[in-house]
Amino acid sequence: MASGFVEFLIRRALGFIAVLLVLSMMIFALARVVPGDPARMAMGPAASAEQVQAMREQMGLDDPIVEQYVRFLRGAVQGDFGISLISGRPVTDEILRLLPATLELVIVTLLLMIVLGVPLGVLAARYRNGWADTLLRIVSMIGVTMPAFLVAILLQLFAAYYLSDWPLLGRIHQDFRSFEGPTGFYIVDGLLMGRLDIVGSALQHLAFPALALALAGIGQIMRLTRSAMIENLRRDHVQTLRSFGVPDRIVTFRYLFKLSSIAPLTIMGLEFASLIGNAFVVEMVFSWGGFASHGLESIMQNDLNAIMAVVMVSGLFFVVANLVIDILIGVIDPRIRLKEGH
Amino acid sequence: MASLGETAISPEILTARRMAWLRFRSNPVALLGAFMVLSVVFCALFAPFIAPYPEDAGNMIDFATRHSAPSAEHWAGTDKVGRDILSRVIFGFQVSLLLVVGVLGLAVPVGAALGLAAGYFGGWTEFLITGFTNVMLAIPPLVMALAVGSVLSQTLVNAMFAIALLWWTWHARLVYRVAKSVAAEDFVEAARLAGASHMHILLREILPNCVAVISVKTTLDAAFVILFGATLSFLGLGVRPPTPDLGSMVADGRQFLPEMWWGVLFPALGIFYATLAFNLLGDGLRDMFDVEV
Amino acid sequence: MALLDICDLNVAFTSYGQRTHVLRDVSLKIGEGQRVALIGETGSGKSVTSKAVLNTLPRNAAVEGGEMFWRGRDLLQTPDRQREALKGIEMSVVMQDPLSSFNPVFTIGRHLGDVLFWADRRSGKRRGRAERRAHIYDVLRKVQLADPERVFASYPAELSGGMRQRVLIALALMNRPAMLIADEPGTALDVTTQDEILRLLNDLVAQEGLSLLMITHNLGVVRMTADYVYVMCKGEIVEHGPLRRIFEDPQTDYCRELIEAIPPLYGARVRNQPVSTEAPLVKLEGVSKTFTRRHFLRPSEQVHAVRNVSLEIPRGEILGLAGESGSGKTTVARMVMGMMGASEGRISVDGVALADQRDGRIDRRLAQIVYQNPGTSLNPKRTVAQTLEVPLRFASNEPKARGRRIEELLERVDLPPHFAARFPHELSGGQKQRVAIARALAAEPRLIVLDEPTSALDMSVQKRVIALLEELRSELGLTYLFISHDLSLMRNFCSHIAIMLRGEIVERGTPAEVFEDQQHPYTRALISAVPVITDEEEARKPKVTQQERQKFLVSSAA
Repeated sequence: MASGFVEFLIRRALGFIAVLLVLSMMIFALARVVPGDPARMAMGPAASAEQVQAMREQMGLDDPIVEQYVRFLRGAVQGDFGISLISGRPVTDEILRLLPATLELVIVTLLLMIVLGVPLGVLAARYRNGWADTLLRIVSMIGVTMPAFLVAILLQLFAAYYLSDWPLLGRIHQDFRSFEGPTGFYIVDGLLMGRLDIVGSALQHLAFPALALALAGIGQIMRLTRSAMIENLRRDHVQTLRSFGVPDRIVTFRYLFKLSSIAPLTIMGLEFASLIGNAFVVEMVFSWGGFASHGLESIMQNDLNAIMAVVMVSGLFFVVANLVIDILIGVIDPRIRLKEGH
Repeated sequence: MASLGETAISPEILTARRMAWLRFRSNPVALLGAFMVLSVVFCALFAPFIAPYPEDAGNMIDFATRHSAPSAEHWAGTDKVGRDILSRVIFGFQVSLLLVVGVLGLAVPVGAALGLAAGYFGGWTEFLITGFTNVMLAIPPLVMALAVGSVLSQTLVNAMFAIALLWWTWHARLVYRVAKSVAAEDFVEAARLAGASHMHILLREILPNCVAVISVKTTLDAAFVILFGATLSFLGLGVRPPTPDLGSMVADGRQFLPEMWWGVLFPALGIFYATLAFNLLGDGLRDMFDVEV
Repeated sequence: MALLDICDLNVAFTSYGQRTHVLRDVSLKIGEGQRVALIGETGSGKSVTSKAVLNTLPRNAAVEGGEMFWRGRDLLQTPDRQREALKGIEMSVVMQDPLSSFNPVFTIGRHLGDVLFWADRRSGKRRGRAERRAHIYDVLRKVQLADPERVFASYPAELSGGMRQRVLIALALMNRPAMLIADEPGTALDVTTQDEILRLLNDLVAQEGLSLLMITHNLGVVRMTADYVYVMCKGEIVEHGPLRRIFEDPQTDYCRELIEAIPPLYGARVRNQPVSTEAPLVKLEGVSKTFTRRHFLRPSEQVHAVRNVSLEIPRGEILGLAGESGSGKTTVARMVMGMMGASEGRISVDGVALADQRDGRIDRRLAQIVYQNPGTSLNPKRTVAQTLEVPLRFASNEPKARGRRIEELLERVDLPPHFAARFPHELSGGQKQRVAIARALAAEPRLIVLDEPTSALDMSVQKRVIALLEELRSELGLTYLFISHDLSLMRNFCSHIAIMLRGEIVERGTPAEVFEDQQHPYTRALISAVPVITDEEEARKPKVTQQERQKFLVSSAA
C-alpha cells in the first residue's frame, strides 16, 4: 500500500521538475525577446559602445541561444542567476537576504487561512442557512471581493485612527533592526534565542499584512469547505452513521471534517501562485522589504536577471507547496495511498 | 404510451429547467447581484450622461476646487487637481468593464477550446495541454502581468493581453475536468458509432454540457479581472493617466491619507461594488445550475 | 401487540413551493419475529416509509398525519431524542449500497467503534475500549467475515462489495435489535454474492429471533426472506397478505401485472426462442484481449480480460452472453463493435474482418449498440429529434427526409411523434431506452449489441421493452448480441446462451439445454443463485453444495 503512495509522490515530483524546466524555458525566451540591450542596461547610458560590447561578450549575449539557455539553466540549478543589472550584485545574494521576510509572511498567512478558513467553513455548513451561515458568507464574500491592496490600506487607516501605537510599516521595531539570527525568521530566531520581545514585535508587525494577504484566501477556503461539507452531507455514509445513532456533531466535526478538508487543500495549492502575487502588493503597502518588493522593483526597472530569478523562485515555491499538499492529502485520504499506478 | 410504469414521471423531473429558474428567483442575493451588474453596465454605457461632471474624466485641472471634501456639488469630493471623484468612478466602470470584456473575450474561448480538446481527445493532446496548463499555474499571475506590462508599452490593450495570457489556464482546467467526464458518457460513444465527426461531438455533444460551468466561472471571473486590473493599475501599470481607472485613483488618493480619505474611499467603494455585483450574480448562477467551479 | 404498527401514515415533500404527496394512508404491521416485505417499483414510496420509521426523512419532508406505534408507543408523539435512542438498539437498518455507505477516509473499525460507543452511552452500558473491540470482532465473525482483525483495520476501499455488505449487516446487528429494516440489500452486487448475503440475513434473523422489514423490488428476494407481503404503488398500499396468497392469488391488477412481468426460469410459462439456421453474421475465432497495467517503478502487469473466445451468431438470432462483473462480457461486446481491438484472434461481421476496416471501426450500417443506463446514453442537452438526427445526418439523408424518418423511427419504438421535441429529462427510463433503440435503428444496422438494456428499469417496463425488441427483430430481421447477468430474462429472450467466467466461455447452448443440463459447475452455481418466485422453479433449479457456491463467489471472497 505504501509503495503505491511513494510511486505517486515520485511521479508528482517528476511532474513538478518538468514544470520548473518548462517555466525556465519560457522565462528565458521572454527575457530574450524583450526590446533593449541588457548589456547597455547594465553599463548605463554613459558607457561607450566598446564598453557595452565588452559587456555583451562578458555576459555571453552573442553566443548561440541554446548555449545561453544551458548556461542559464546550469546556473539556476546551482542557485546562480547572475548579476543584477541595476545593483551589480549577485541576484541570488539579494534574494536570499530578502527571502526569510517573505516566507515568514506567506507561511503565517497560510496558517491563518487554514486555521480560520476551514473551521469557519465547517461552522457555516453545520448551521447552513442560519444567521451564522449568512454572516459568514457575507464576510467571505467581502474577503473575496476586496483586493488585497485595499484591505491593506484600510487596515493601515484603521490602525492610524484607532491604534496609535501600532506599527504600520516594516517587519520589526526600529530598536531591533540590528538583530540577526541564524534563520532570518524573526519569530523563529526570537524563540530560539529566548528573545520574546523580538517575537512579540515581529508578530505585531505581521498581524495586519498577514491578515490583508489572508482575507481573500480565508473567504475562498471557507466557501470551499462549506460546499464540500454540504456536498458530503448528501452522501450515504452520513446516513449510515446517523441511522445508528452517532450524534450529529460527531458526524459533522469528525467524519465530514476530515473528508471535506481535501478540496480546500487542493485549491490552496493551485492558488499558491496568486498568493505570492498578492504578497507583492501587500509587501509594498507595508514597506515589508521582502523578496516580493524586490521582485516588484526589478520588474519596474527591467532588471532581467532579477526578474528571471524571481519567477523561478516563485515557481519553486509553488512546486514545493504543492508537493507538501500532495503529501498531506495522501495522509488524509487512504484512497490515494492505496491507488495503483495506471 | 399510456402504459403503467412509464407514465410515472415525477413532477420534479418534468420541470428541471423551471426549477433552476425558481431556485434563482427565490434567491434574493442572486437577484440583487443581477441588479447590481446591470447598474454597473448601465453606468459604463451611459457614463457621459450620468456623471455630474463628464469633462472631469479627462485631463481637466481646476485648482480652485482641489481636495474638497464631499459636498452638495461634489458628492464624493474632488481629487488633487480638483476633478469630481464621483464622475471619475462612473467613468472608471467603463475601463473596468472594457478590461473584463477584453480579457474574458480572449481567455474564455481559448481556455474552453483547449479544455475541450484535452478532455475529449485524451492521449498526447491531453498530456500536452494539461502539462502546459500546470506550468502556467506555477507563475504568479501578477508577476507575469507585470513582466509583460513592463516590457510592452502601457496601454489598456496590452494590459488585457497580459492578463489574458494567464487567465485562460483556469478555464482550460475547468472545462477539461467537465469535458473529460462528459466524454466518458455513453452518449458520446453512441454519437461516434452513429458516424458523427469530432467537430460535431466537441461542439454539439460536449460543449452544451459545459455551458453551465463556463458561464458561472466567467461571471465570477469578471469580478476577479476587475480586481486584478485595479491591482495592476494601483502598482502603476496598465492604464495610464488621465484615463479614469479605479486602481490608479486609489493609488493617487493614498498619498493624501488619512486627511483626504474620500480620495481612497470612493474609488475603493467603486471597485467593491463592481466586484461584489459579479460575485453575487455568479454565486446565484452557481446555485441555479448546481455546479461547482 | 405488534412490534411496529403504522396507521394511515401520510408524508408530503415540498420543494420550491411545490407539494408532492408521497405516502397516502399507509398502514403496515410487523409482529415480533415476523418477516415482512414491502415491495413496489421505483417511486412507489417504499423507501420513504422506511425513512419515516427510522426518522431519517429529508428536511423537506413532512409527516402530515397518521400514527406509528413501536411497542405500543406512538413514535410521532415521541421527542426526537428518545427516537434517536431507539436507533441501532431497538431497530436497525441494513443499508442499500455497500459502496458509498462508509466514509472513505476512516477505517471500518472506526465506524463500528463509534456506533457502538454511542449506543452504549445511550443505553447506559459501561464498556472499555478493549471490550467494545472484542464485541465488534464477535459480530464480524457472526456475519462470516473470517478475519475480523483485518476487516477492522481496513479502509472501505480495501474491502470487496460483498465484504462491505457483510459489515453493514454486522453494523445493524451490533446491539441485538428487535427489528431489522433491510433496504434492497445486495442489489448492487453480483447474483451469487447477493444470494449469499440473503442467505446470511435469513439465517441471522432465524437465529436471533428478529423481526424483519424487507424493502425490495425483487419478488424472488421476497419469496426467500418474507412471510407476509405489502405491495405499494404510487404511495399507497394496494394489497397485502401472506406471501403464498399474494404470489398465487393476487387480488389487484397491479399486483398481477407485477408478478407476470417476471420472466420465469422454469415451468410452463417459459418461452423458447427459435433457432436460426442461417449463416453466421458475427464470427469470433480465438479472440483474446490483454490489458497491460503499467507501473512506474515495478514491472507491468498483464490482465487477461478475454481469453480465447470463439463465437458465432447466426443471422436473426439472439445470442445471450452472461456472466458476473469482471467476466469479460462487456469487453467482448466492445470488440465486436470495433471500439476496441483484439489482442489475438479474428473478428468478422458480415464476412468483413474488423481489422481490415478503417481504424478498426465497424461500419455503422453493420452494428449499433444500446447501453445499460438510459440516464447516460442520451445527451441531456439535446432533444430526441437532435439525437436521432445524428445517425441520419451522417448517413447523408436529405434534411426533409430526415424529419419524416424521425417520425417513422419514433413510431417504430411506440413513441408518439411529438416526443421528438422532448429533452431526456422529460422522459421516463423506459422512454429513454426506446429513444436509444430508435437511435440504434436509425443507422439501419444488421447487428445490435444490447448491453444490459433493461437492468436499470422496473420489471413491468422491462417486459414491454423486451417485447418491443422481439418485435423489431422479427420485423426488421435484426440480429442481437445480448449482454446480461439476468439469467431468467435470458432464458426467455435468447436463442443461444454463452456463459463467461474470468474471461473464458465455460458453457454454451440453447437456453433449454443450458438450464436443464449444465456442463460447468459455475453455470450450476449461477442458476441456483437466481431468486425465483414459485416453488416449482425452486425445485427445478440445480442443487449446489455450500463448497461449490463458495468456489465461484466473484467478489465477496474474504
